[in-house]
Amino acid sequence: MTADFIQLLVGGILLGGIYGLAAFGLSITFGVLNVLNLAHGEFLMLGSLMSYGLFIGLGINPFMAAILVIPVFMLLGVGFYLLLLKPIMDKPPHQLLVASILVTLGASLFIEDVTAFFWERPVTGISYSLPPMELAGVVISSTRLLILLFIFALACGMQIYLKKTYVGKSIRAIVQGREGAKIVGIPISRVSALAFSIGMALAASAGAFYVTLFTVTPTMGIPLTIKYLCVVVLGGLGSIVGSIFGGLILGVAETLTAYYCGAEWSPTIAFILLILILIIKPEGLFGAKK
Amino acid sequence: MKKRVLLICLVAAMFIGFPLAAMGAPDAIHIGATVSQTGHFSSEIGPFKRLMNAWADLVNEKGGIMVKEYGKKLPVKFTIYDDKSDQATVKKYYERLATVDRVNLMLGPYSSPLTFAASTAGENHQIPFIAICANSPKIYTRGFNWIVGTIDLGPRYTYRYWEMIRKEGKAKSVSFVVEDTIHPLSVYKGSKKLAEEAGLKVMTSDIVPAKTRDFTPIITKLKKENPDIIYVSSNIPFAINFMKQAKEMKLNPKEYHCIHHSGIFRDALGSAADDVIGQSYWVEGMKLGDTQLINDVLKKAKISEPMYPWSPAYVAAFQVLQKAIENAGTLDNKKVMDNLKKLKMETVLGEEVFAKTGYGSINTYPSQIQGGVYKVIYPPEVATGKHIYPRPAWK
Repeated sequence: MTADFIQLLVGGILLGGIYGLAAFGLSITFGVLNVLNLAHGEFLMLGSLMSYGLFIGLGINPFMAAILVIPVFMLLGVGFYLLLLKPIMDKPPHQLLVASILVTLGASLFIEDVTAFFWERPVTGISYSLPPMELAGVVISSTRLLILLFIFALACGMQIYLKKTYVGKSIRAIVQGREGAKIVGIPISRVSALAFSIGMALAASAGAFYVTLFTVTPTMGIPLTIKYLCVVVLGGLGSIVGSIFGGLILGVAETLTAYYCGAEWSPTIAFILLILILIIKPEGLFGAKK
Repeated sequence: MKKRVLLICLVAAMFIGFPLAAMGAPDAIHIGATVSQTGHFSSEIGPFKRLMNAWADLVNEKGGIMVKEYGKKLPVKFTIYDDKSDQATVKKYYERLATVDRVNLMLGPYSSPLTFAASTAGENHQIPFIAICANSPKIYTRGFNWIVGTIDLGPRYTYRYWEMIRKEGKAKSVSFVVEDTIHPLSVYKGSKKLAEEAGLKVMTSDIVPAKTRDFTPIITKLKKENPDIIYVSSNIPFAINFMKQAKEMKLNPKEYHCIHHSGIFRDALGSAADDVIGQSYWVEGMKLGDTQLINDVLKKAKISEPMYPWSPAYVAAFQVLQKAIENAGTLDNKKVMDNLKKLKMETVLGEEVFAKTGYGSINTYPSQIQGGVYKVIYPPEVATGKHIYPRPAWK
């Protein structure tokens, strides 16, 4: 019984790590830009496909691919921001939110259709795995564990970047108050472009891991975005720690629910947690009160 | 004199009459279909538009299909839409095929749910509808008169596998992991009964939502149960995710059976796919009669059978379609449908004959991935390899 529980806990934590990394990108985009990026899952999917291409074509392992996709998707992110989001950034906050939903939803459908059209193999997965470890009757997937460690390292790196660098501090300042940040001379547009590109790169990086563990299809983006939105709300907007913990909580909750209540209840738990957190602590577990 | 005039009139009538009949002939035999080029099922049949057009090209290179009524061969022309693997879309396009494109005959979409939705167009507009990869009994219990299906019913989808297990007598227990969609559920229901009849103890059956990606809870449970066979009744993406995690968590039954284990499954899993059993309609080297047409169509369409194991079933459906029109000798819907229903013919996948409710007789064979190659393992008269049981455990 205990061994089973530990096994499930470990499985949930390993799953939650992926949720956390992908959700943080979404969180930062929403926090800094007030843009609800519904194309976030598509960037994850594109990151997965790039990682797949690197693995199949050049034999590059997914951990290396997770680093290589970052600069590529940062560039793409800047382009995406300048082309589609900058023109709507001057709108009042509530209008900006609606406009951003429409723009990113359109972009999401566009990316999905174009990918489905050009990608000959509609279900993609790579056969990369490391031998599992066994500790006191609990089998731990080495691949997932390594991914989790990588995610923690990336999260720590991001945390240091946000706390110690000027750009990082600027990003946090915008999250805390856009007008105030403008008054103290932070170049809102440039920092916003950078923040968006960081969000996109993190999604793509998560995608590199995703394709290692699961199958990837061109149509998987929007359902993933919705799941990651739950994680963001759970953890708190713009918080790395919140995203990671939100992801871990959701991962563990899903795994335990599936085992004890039945697999059909597992997808529901995300929404139950979402409703609970909105009632009890609307700013999220680690979100700052505004 | 009168006789001579009569003869001249007769000859003139023959010369005038023949071109008139030919002039009345349509430009082509119009076949309507949809292919899931995008969406959930695109992994199973994404490039099948090419497959259909390749067969049409092969037929047309020989002049087309003979239609006695017009005294000549007519070329085959497909009208194909992307149904996006979606029931509403498929319904819309089959209505369009019936009312706007006015096709002579319809080939069904991929899968039971899509066929269930699409086939109402055939029934409502009285157009012959040939279902292909759709075997849910629900399709054939609605009293429809304008549908036949190429393959046998879902609950019998793996009957040859269970027959083999019973005859071998080695496996004693089985656990089922089932994707909660119409085809896997239908296959599971039949398989559970067949497994019990084969003398196996059914440990548990987990019916899991289709979009499940994390199987840690189920695998944890299965490790405790320790069945001889783990039978995964699902579509390909589900099976890949399950098997990946099964290997990560060292779940080691004596046998895995994943009903769909195409080349996409094999490539995504690598060595984890080795020794997994699934179902195939045909594999290279199988002793099933004249299967040259399969090779010709696949070669022309640039489609590989292991990647798309349903492709031979489509080729069989093309043969059925052709034979029904040739037998009817007309494109009259009613006559074509009547001929379809009473058809009995040898296809590339064996004998095809339709039950009263419309489903067909073609079924799959158990095949095992051995060193990356698909081997049909039962029955011995068509087998291309031997059953490896138990599979070597993952270490």
